[in-house]
Amino acid sequence: MKQQLDDRALTTLMQAAQAGDTQAYVQLLKEIAPRLRQIVRGQRRFLKSEDIEDIVQDVLLSLHAVRATYDRQRPFMPWLIAITRNRLADAARRYTRRAAHEVQVENLPVTFSDEGTNIGSGEYRDPEALSQAIRTLPPGQRDAIEMLKLREMSLKAAAAASGTSVGALKVSIHRAMATLRKVLIKAS
Amino acid sequence: MTMDTEKLIARLAEVVEPVRPLPRPWIRMAAWLLVAIPYVALVVFVVSPRADLISKASEWRYVIEQVAALATGMTAATAAFASVVPGYDRKFLFLPALPLAVWLGSLGEGCVQDWIQLGPNGLSLQPDWFCFPAIVLVGAVPAIAMAVMLRRGAPLTPHITTAIGGLAAAGLGNFGLRLFHSQDASLMVLVWQVGTVFILTTIAAWAGHYLLNWRSIIGIGRGNVLMP
Repeated sequence: MKQQLDDRALTTLMQAAQAGDTQAYVQLLKEIAPRLRQIVRGQRRFLKSEDIEDIVQDVLLSLHAVRATYDRQRPFMPWLIAITRNRLADAARRYTRRAAHEVQVENLPVTFSDEGTNIGSGEYRDPEALSQAIRTLPPGQRDAIEMLKLREMSLKAAAAASGTSVGALKVSIHRAMATLRKVLIKAS
Repeated sequence: MTMDTEKLIARLAEVVEPVRPLPRPWIRMAAWLLVAIPYVALVVFVVSPRADLISKASEWRYVIEQVAALATGMTAATAAFASVVPGYDRKFLFLPALPLAVWLGSLGEGCVQDWIQLGPNGLSLQPDWFCFPAIVLVGAVPAIAMAVMLRRGAPLTPHITTAIGGLAAAGLGNFGLRLFHSQDASLMVLVWQVGTVFILTTIAAWAGHYLLNWRSIIGIGRGNVLMP
């Protein structure tokens, strides 16, 4: 089993990261990610793993944004824990706000038996045609389909991974879906 | 580690640049004063200092109140800068409590003395609407400098941070005001000047979330860092 680095080693890595050392930064982030996951899971046992991952990523982004606030004379972990606690509290507030606006509904069938609601459903059943149609999409739209539909990433994670905004991704996915629909109907 | 987090780490590492660690809170406070004090001096000079300033400098009550107002501004600034550093002891937030207590205590004691010497006439209250815009004017640049400097930190307690940052700027504003505004009746100072300081502090506290929030800081980070 991999041995965890102690606080002094993390402090050294953080100092190097502040100086712009990429290798040290990767090592530091990879070292702290499992610890963050453990802390978040410990504090929020009821969260699903993707929600835990969202918070871990939020903490990593926060750390990156405020890395200049780390004081080289002070230990690293209390600094990281303070950021983590703050982001956990933010996530709890977000969760409460979302829950307050959520409306519980019964698990209704996804579709109805009426023909009108199922127009065109048969045309999308050919996986080969679908993957060919995806390949013809412009790169931005293709990436959006790949991340959001095929890999089922969250909008936030996909935006972080692709370096675009959530809004731009929404536009890309909407356009991509419209293009695919048109291409597949034409092909059939 | 899931693929997404691994990818995020790779992205962050790709774009990591050297950063200069923020100086200690008290050093940042000194830097803030370097911007704020010349501006306050300029305003006092332009508006023209009060005619009795030299004689006032030998009145212990005036000196105590001015030193306490300045000390409140300085300690509040230090506390505000400490509050944006993760892991800093939250006790720092109470740093301005002592000079603020001295300031309010001196004014309170002045009110009692005025009442003993002049009776109810000593506590008469007239409108002094000049105080609000004057403190806003003197505190404007210190407040802007404070906001810019606070945004370089972590928005851990946005409302508290901007409240004490606002107290720092308004305290300094009141310090400057009393160098050109001849109003020394304790009750008048307490109500109109300290009242203005607390109103500005409350407004600053309200604005905390707009001024300091993770979304804008990470947004800037994403924009600068994650865009290919």
